[in-house]
Amino acid sequence: MKFDPDFALSVTPLILTGLGTTLWIAVAASLCAAVLGFIFEILRRSNRWLGYVMRFVIDVIRSTPVLVQLYFIYFVLPFYGLTLPAIASGVLGLSIYYSGYLAEVFKGGIDSIDTGQFEAGKALGLRRRDVIVSVILPQMLRNVAAPMGNYFVSALKATPYLAVIAVPEMLGIAMEVGSNSFRYAEPMVAVGVIFLTLALCISYVVRLLERRLQIAHQR
Amino acid sequence: MTSSSTPPAVCISGLQKWYGRYQALCDVDLNVAANERVVICGPSGSGKSTLIRCINQLETHDAGTIEVNGKRVDRSTPRMHMLRRDIGMVFQHFNLFPHLTVLENCTLALRKARKMKLAQAQEIAEHYLNRVRIPEQRGKYPGQLSGGQQQRVAIARALCMSPKVMLFDEPTSALDPEMIKEVLDVMTDVASEGMTMICVTHEMNFARTVANRVVFMDAGRIVEQSDPQTFFSRPSHPRAQQFLSQIL
Repeated sequence: MKFDPDFALSVTPLILTGLGTTLWIAVAASLCAAVLGFIFEILRRSNRWLGYVMRFVIDVIRSTPVLVQLYFIYFVLPFYGLTLPAIASGVLGLSIYYSGYLAEVFKGGIDSIDTGQFEAGKALGLRRRDVIVSVILPQMLRNVAAPMGNYFVSALKATPYLAVIAVPEMLGIAMEVGSNSFRYAEPMVAVGVIFLTLALCISYVVRLLERRLQIAHQR
Repeated sequence: MTSSSTPPAVCISGLQKWYGRYQALCDVDLNVAANERVVICGPSGSGKSTLIRCINQLETHDAGTIEVNGKRVDRSTPRMHMLRRDIGMVFQHFNLFPHLTVLENCTLALRKARKMKLAQAQEIAEHYLNRVRIPEQRGKYPGQLSGGQQQRVAIARALCMSPKVMLFDEPTSALDPEMIKEVLDVMTDVASEGMTMICVTHEMNFARTVANRVVFMDAGRIVEQSDPQTFFSRPSHPRAQQFLSQIL
């Protein structure tokens, strides 16, 4: 079967109807993962026992496949009375999965902040919460901009996993086109090109942001 | 020196601190009266920094008691952050917040801890930046300043909270020689206004001219304390004599 560029172009608009869902899920999951990852990391540092617990939680999250986590949320939790719509399950699954990785990224970002910064905040009489939000968080974000951006791109590229729980994102639509027309090459190439374009755009923005943060740091 | 009418600002007795098997502080007793200016000196590793870091509990002690402004501080002190607001601290490496401007460094604690409005906090910050003689640097970031300027901002930042006691932990040790004077001048200024000060420093001239009392530490103990005149002219402890002969 020959690759038909005209067919690829003609199915692209249909596939792009899933773009909104894909982007929405990627953005929501990235933000939730960042917030969750930061909370995990702060809890991990708060005291010894909670530290062990959070270490374990983060390891479990990072060491199980994202598909297993998604299936668990979408197919297993309903047996225990928690039924979430597909999109919510998807966002939750990706958020949890990436929160484990981002917690590790944040750990590195906080470790590289001089301990004198914590001490100065404490010595001024700031509460722990204020030290974290006003002193540590801004410096950490500067340190982790690049790796965090990479995980945001990774989260975007993980959205096709949600096709398995019937979220109407782009891969799901492309699969449907494929099964209806018996032509898979064109819709798959279209999906690939769309993701490639998105990922390159985000990478570019991240690099730009990173450079601006570095300039700010040199001031 | 110590008048009986004013309660001591800092009261330390029987203080002990261990790092594993290493004893950093052995039974340290030290009372500092309000408005008194104490210089702590001694060879490195003698426990000077550890001692003043215990006063605001950046280090927790293992035995003994510390009272600051009449309130006992230790690892179980509730709301320690409230007590720290009355204890200013200046660090060897300044520890300014690099992501905030000079002015923001000074207003942060006023806004977050004292819950002040921005305008009022800025007014106070500018007052103290004037006092440390760098009002013109208010919009710059710490990375754009010299070491001496950064340390003066750090002093202003601590003064903004109107502390009752100021702790200085080797404030000039990380500075280039030509910047030491500007920082010491500011510290002398602060002293002249009656601030209770505890300074760990090797600046013997500062000790001679500004301190009411010099405390000499060795191996985690206070081995000698006297007024600067006596300390510099007739040190009694052999370790102090040796120390002075090496640095003067």
